[in-house]
Amino acid sequence: MSNEIEKLQEENIKLKRISSTKSDLISISGHELRTSLSALKWILKMFIDRDLGEITLEQENFMQKALISSNRMIDLVNKLLILNHSEELDIPFNFQKLNIVDLIDQVIFEFSSEAHKKSVELIFLKSNKNIPEMVGDEEMLRVVFQNLIENAIKYEDRDDKIFISIKYNEQDKDVEISIRDTGIGIGDKDQEKIFTKFFRGTEAIKKDGSGNGLGLFAAKNIIEHHKGKIWVESKLNIGTTFFIKLPINLTN
Amino acid sequence: MRKILIIEDDVFLKNLESNKLKKDNYEIITASTGDEAMDKINEPGIDLILLDLILPGIDGFDVLKKIKETENIKSIPVIVFSNLSEEEDIKKAKELGAAEFMVKSNFSLDELSEHISKMLS
Repeated sequence: MSNEIEKLQEENIKLKRISSTKSDLISISGHELRTSLSALKWILKMFIDRDLGEITLEQENFMQKALISSNRMIDLVNKLLILNHSEELDIPFNFQKLNIVDLIDQVIFEFSSEAHKKSVELIFLKSNKNIPEMVGDEEMLRVVFQNLIENAIKYEDRDDKIFISIKYNEQDKDVEISIRDTGIGIGDKDQEKIFTKFFRGTEAIKKDGSGNGLGLFAAKNIIEHHKGKIWVESKLNIGTTFFIKLPINLTN
Repeated sequence: MRKILIIEDDVFLKNLESNKLKKDNYEIITASTGDEAMDKINEPGIDLILLDLILPGIDGFDVLKKIKETENIKSIPVIVFSNLSEEEDIKKAKELGAAEFMVKSNFSLDELSEHISKMLS
């Protein structure tokens, strides 16, 4: 029996090493691809902008098609790189002390250039009371916030604001975080299904064809693993607010 | 005229960035290695630094660290302009004081220029 266990342990170590090497190779390839794709994207745009001399309308049309093609490739590389880390979601949760305000700050920083691109402003409203350290899986929670903020930016219009707020409820010993946008909204019927696997709202699909419908499903999973709650309030064409409640200490 | 230091090791990309920003009326100086960057950051009058992370010799993170530790240049905004997007890299860039982290392939040169002008206004 102990022989079999040893064999399994060896196999496990081997597989982890293979998986990690594969993951590194994919990261490197992704970076290489992006370098070439940046050059391609920039040059095509220069042609279209007449920075390289006058071109005919027909030539411009072809360049536009090529640009769309190259942006699609860039999208795909972005998705592959994210997927490269998705297997980490199967790893058991690793609960440690963490600073939730810092975590949210980091995610906001990560998305600030995407937000700028759409002239969307990310505003973090921190409560004036100090928010204590909490216990959680920092990387898993990061995925949740990345998802919600990315969605908020994706489904917004230009020049809108996204409000992220956090407050500590001393009585219940939990934090409540909300992410509010003034975007396309989610219809009542869709709201019931929004956290299910692969589901994408009708308005969302209209606004942006990409998206795999896994984000909110994973988010709910992660929040519930933290003994928390995630829910949504929304009105079509007015906006959406996602709420998350998380206990400070999991033994509550 | 505002002055931008572009730190980028890929000659082709560096030229594209440089030409575009010159056209948009910026004075451009460039560095193509970490060591060269350490030198050029001391040039007077730099208003913004565009920093690639993967550089021969000293890497972008070390350059960023040096910039933010040096008295008269730590207030210059640094935009990390890289094709990396791993969590640890973005986290590290923020911790070291980068003003923004932009993934090159997600932006056209026009968008880069707009970003820069917003940041400098």
